[in-house]
Amino acid sequence: MTLLVLFFLASLDGALCGIRASMGRCPLINKRRFYVRAVLRGILAAQIASWLSFFVLLAVYSLAMGKQFVRQDLEAAAGRMLYVFLPYAALVFANLALRLVPSVDLRSATSVVFLGPLTALRPLVMILGIAFGIWRAQLFTTVFLGLFVLSFMLCLEFVLNRYNSRVQQAEIRLLTTDT
Amino acid sequence: MGWLFRGTRSTLCSWRRTDCQTLFPIWSRLPQFSLFALARFLYSRLVFPSWNPAQPEISDLVIQHDPKTLERLPVCKSEIRKPFEATTNQKALRVIDQISDRDGFLDPTTVDRLMLTVHWEMQRLAEEFYHGHRVLKLLRATISAMRANGYNGLIRIVDVGCGIGYTIRWLAARSSLPQEGIELTGVDLNSTLIREANRLASVESLPCRFLHGDAFSADLRGQIYISTGVVHHFRGDDLAVFLAHHDADATHAFIHYDFQPWFLAPCGSWFFHIIRMRTPLARHDGVLSAARAHSATTLVSTARAAVFSLSTGIYGAKIWNTPAPRVFHALVGFRRKLIPQLKESLGSMLGELR
Repeated sequence: MTLLVLFFLASLDGALCGIRASMGRCPLINKRRFYVRAVLRGILAAQIASWLSFFVLLAVYSLAMGKQFVRQDLEAAAGRMLYVFLPYAALVFANLALRLVPSVDLRSATSVVFLGPLTALRPLVMILGIAFGIWRAQLFTTVFLGLFVLSFMLCLEFVLNRYNSRVQQAEIRLLTTDT
Repeated sequence: MGWLFRGTRSTLCSWRRTDCQTLFPIWSRLPQFSLFALARFLYSRLVFPSWNPAQPEISDLVIQHDPKTLERLPVCKSEIRKPFEATTNQKALRVIDQISDRDGFLDPTTVDRLMLTVHWEMQRLAEEFYHGHRVLKLLRATISAMRANGYNGLIRIVDVGCGIGYTIRWLAARSSLPQEGIELTGVDLNSTLIREANRLASVESLPCRFLHGDAFSADLRGQIYISTGVVHHFRGDDLAVFLAHHDADATHAFIHYDFQPWFLAPCGSWFFHIIRMRTPLARHDGVLSAARAHSATTLVSTARAAVFSLSTGIYGAKIWNTPAPRVFHALVGFRRKLIPQLKESLGSMLGELR
């Protein structure tokens, strides 16, 4: 169950990373399709990271000696991570929900005062969540897996940004070559 | 930058003198000392040189046009480095150095690509601030007042310095203004941005057009002028000259949105640009824009001295009647007969108009 919640949170994080990495890269007014594709791309990237982590976890688990103990240690670490990730996710979603209120000032305020700083805090929250999960872990395996997942999640936005940047620059090059 | 420290330096000196006389004022002077330390930190040439409002913005320098023919002029790299060398603004110098050049002159294609990237990014900020909605609210009130006062002719809205034309394209896509016989146009001196604005409008089949030229010329002039983040680019006498162009028979109103300066604006702008913008030029100029923004007093006093046929004032300075300032406020001007109806529809958002 804990792993499923973490998987769900990783997918949500991927979706939001996908949107963020694509923002400011399409100057059209109607760009729902562009953002839908960005969200799907983010979710796909998060799936790749999650499933790779899961396969590494399975490999480590199958090679481990005391499987029951490894499982308990992993579950305890994952449970502790949720203490950090769930409030952060709740805060992000509370602010996204506030944007449903039809007030331009309120919507702008959520962006400036909350969502902006929360975006800036994302890498720190990732590090804090994983660190909080693994710092009381009994096994080196758990620590290794935690750091493995952390590296994937931290790379996620960077990779999406790189991809979007390349696409954007290719588009702009095409526009300026025509002239 | 000496003007920044004059007050604080004297405060520090007086604090030292008082300190010798009695120990007690140390605590009472602590806030002033903190203010001094903060000012010193924030405006240190080493820490945040891009906050120095005496500097020009990089985007104002990398593209230059002949004021009469509007033809693009070659830009000498070493010349545009000079103002930033004087302020030891390494960030700005790095941005300029990264632009490729030919024989010491900036490569126009590289500059165009950079400007397009920056303007695509800037559109994101306008979207996050719901700028289209804000402009539409004011335009709706203005147009209603014009129609109620018997003006039945064509209304042309001109976005001055429109860039890639986000505001006009948003109005064309999201409002019924074109169906109501309102002509939506954008004018800019930068031909590359105008070309891009027209391309984007045609991709989405939007009923608006963008023109390269002088917004106040006889063939391009309109009834309502709007702009976003343009006014602070006019410094000193140029601001009065720009505003004086509105003093024409055809002009019924103008609405010029720009950053509202207050002491936290550069900090907020710096943080927001670090998070939201990716291009170093956009980050640099965005922060500098907040530092260079004209105060409401400057805007209003200059407008009142330059424009006689319209009543001018500030719109939307505070959030929900609280002391909290909005990021953007607008310098507005309206024909006098429109004012009673505008006051009724816009309420306390509209400041004093004279």
